[in-house]
Amino acid sequence: MRLRISRKRIAFTLPEITLALAVSGVVFGAILTLSTSLQKSFNAIDNYFGTHMQQIRIVDYLSRDVKRGLIVTTSADLQTVTVTIPNYIIQAGDPEAVVNPTLVGTARTPTMAYTPSGWQVNYGNTTSIVVYSISGLSILRTENGTVTTIASSTDQLVPLTTDVELANTECAKTSITFQPIFTSGGAAASRSGTTVYSTAYLRNKRRG
Amino acid sequence: MRTKRPVEEGNVLICALCTILIISLIGANVLRNCTTRYNVSSSQVRSWKESLFAAEAGGDIAYAEVRRTVLDPPHAFPTPSWTTTGAKHQSPETTFGANGLTTSTVVDLFYYDPATGNPWFRARSKGTAPVTGLARTGMDDRMGAGVKGDSLLRKIDFKVDHFVATYGPNGDGVGPTPSPVPGPQITRRIEQIVAPVTPFEAAIKCTGSFYGLGSAAQVDSYNSKNGPYYFAANNPADPNFKDARSGSVEIGTPVAEVNGMLYGNLSTNGGTIVPNSSITGTIDNNVPFTCPPFKMPTDLPPPQAAPTSVTSTVSITPPVAGTATVPTYYLLSSLSGKLTINAVGGAQTYVAIHVTNDMTAHIDVKPNVHVKIFFDGNMDVKGRDIENETNLAANLQYYAISPASPATTQYIHIDPPGDFAATFYAPSADVVLHGNPDLIGAMVCKTFYGNGNTSWHYDRALDTEGDAVDYRIVSYVEDIR
Repeated sequence: MRLRISRKRIAFTLPEITLALAVSGVVFGAILTLSTSLQKSFNAIDNYFGTHMQQIRIVDYLSRDVKRGLIVTTSADLQTVTVTIPNYIIQAGDPEAVVNPTLVGTARTPTMAYTPSGWQVNYGNTTSIVVYSISGLSILRTENGTVTTIASSTDQLVPLTTDVELANTECAKTSITFQPIFTSGGAAASRSGTTVYSTAYLRNKRRG
Repeated sequence: MRTKRPVEEGNVLICALCTILIISLIGANVLRNCTTRYNVSSSQVRSWKESLFAAEAGGDIAYAEVRRTVLDPPHAFPTPSWTTTGAKHQSPETTFGANGLTTSTVVDLFYYDPATGNPWFRARSKGTAPVTGLARTGMDDRMGAGVKGDSLLRKIDFKVDHFVATYGPNGDGVGPTPSPVPGPQITRRIEQIVAPVTPFEAAIKCTGSFYGLGSAAQVDSYNSKNGPYYFAANNPADPNFKDARSGSVEIGTPVAEVNGMLYGNLSTNGGTIVPNSSITGTIDNNVPFTCPPFKMPTDLPPPQAAPTSVTSTVSITPPVAGTATVPTYYLLSSLSGKLTINAVGGAQTYVAIHVTNDMTAHIDVKPNVHVKIFFDGNMDVKGRDIENETNLAANLQYYAISPASPATTQYIHIDPPGDFAATFYAPSADVVLHGNPDLIGAMVCKTFYGNGNTSWHYDRALDTEGDAVDYRIVSYVEDIR
């Protein structure tokens, strides 16, 4: 037996079209909302992890310099760290390089001096100064005037506390936080939850 | 029965494919992002840190060998694992840890202390950690145009060792050549300076029990670089006052009976000394320490042909003045008479004497002469037998070589009469000091007993005097090229 469909029933009725449009609108609206939310979420997560990687980078930079440092001090507002490091590599213009230009870029042989606090090993007559500072939303590392941006973000990437203990322990404690895009009603925990802590000990006897 | 399909059914397939495509794109993007972050955080950061651990482990291995040069000289830098060329020692490459870390070190003797002749060592270590994961940098492209993030800090060698290719294998610019690496890796290099530890950091230092001195005794200090000794410990206005209160006593056990006036610090290991008016400095009852056995140095030159024994009155003038590093060396089977040591003209003259027996002789050290006497046995003399004409304690140094067996006792007895100036390093000896001598110097021993009203003056110039008894790392720098 073959069923026949009446031609009168092929077309959509107005209520059907209206209903279909309404359902389609809801579906497309949901898809749009979903994709937008996904995009926002993706951006937030991408930003979170990207900024977290920058936190690790700051910590690694600081640890490297503190370990080889001779003096580490912090500013009163805990936003600037100054590290004095030995001049291990001979640079152009150094006294050794003036005498023998081929020494530029090579390691320097240290000299020893006895001081009231014991033996002191010196790489050259001068030292290098490395300053970590905040400029807007960036963290800058300045070594003898040469500025390197080691972290930047569209968000607030701010060292919350940067503390250097001068007495006894001879270490630099750092904590770095940032403000994630997604927060829970502006709760303080949204920032504190991003904190990365670091403690780096001076390998050299502190001179300052 | 057949049912005819409606013509609009094909849209479902297209919609489903589009949905899968969109979700796949989102998933791929998320996966790519996560993989990149994971690659950096788990592989590159880890390798960066582990390579430093490896380098520092190499430094520790080298440090242990440097210490052996004084604690166990025959076994320092053993061959064939270490390769020695002149004053340079190359370690084998050590692989350790679950992540295949490797380390190697070059140790070179790069400096001699002109005053003591003690060698300083420089240890250049490199540590390498393989980088697992994707062979790509983890540069954060949001750092700005032309500003690289991670790759400025963490230098990864993917194909060749960038350091060797740029600066040569020793980092001195000699022979830079592309050196292939077995796989992606990070290498970090550190340089540590290892300095000798000299023995005379306190007036009296004993690892065992301490009794002394007499109730009217005193221990103070001065600095011979500022002139001869005079008492200044009670006069804050005196320009040498700060050097007058370093007559410290260090005791390695709780067994300590301290009498007399002490112008300096006092430390014990578990003792019960309480602050009192007889001790001007800091009292710390929680300072453990050890003094390793002393072994005969192996870096002395060949001994002189004569004399080989001194049992009567003998006067020697070395053939050359020598240096602290290369003194004129005498090997004596006995030293029981009177030995006078003269300078070579007016030159600073350096002499080392090894007595393979007991030390009972009268020693007369003339001005400009610097003598180190190493003895295997015991020492039994009177104060007047220690005749140091300049009164500079550093010019007459006694070293008691520790017996091979810890069960063998060793002693130093110094009886009256006589004042003297000398230093004693005898970490295995029981020291007994009788009488009321006025002495300048320092003493390191196992146990100490002194019942007289001694006036003991520690010379702060002894801080840097004496044979190396240990080594410590005094400088650390990383080669960040």
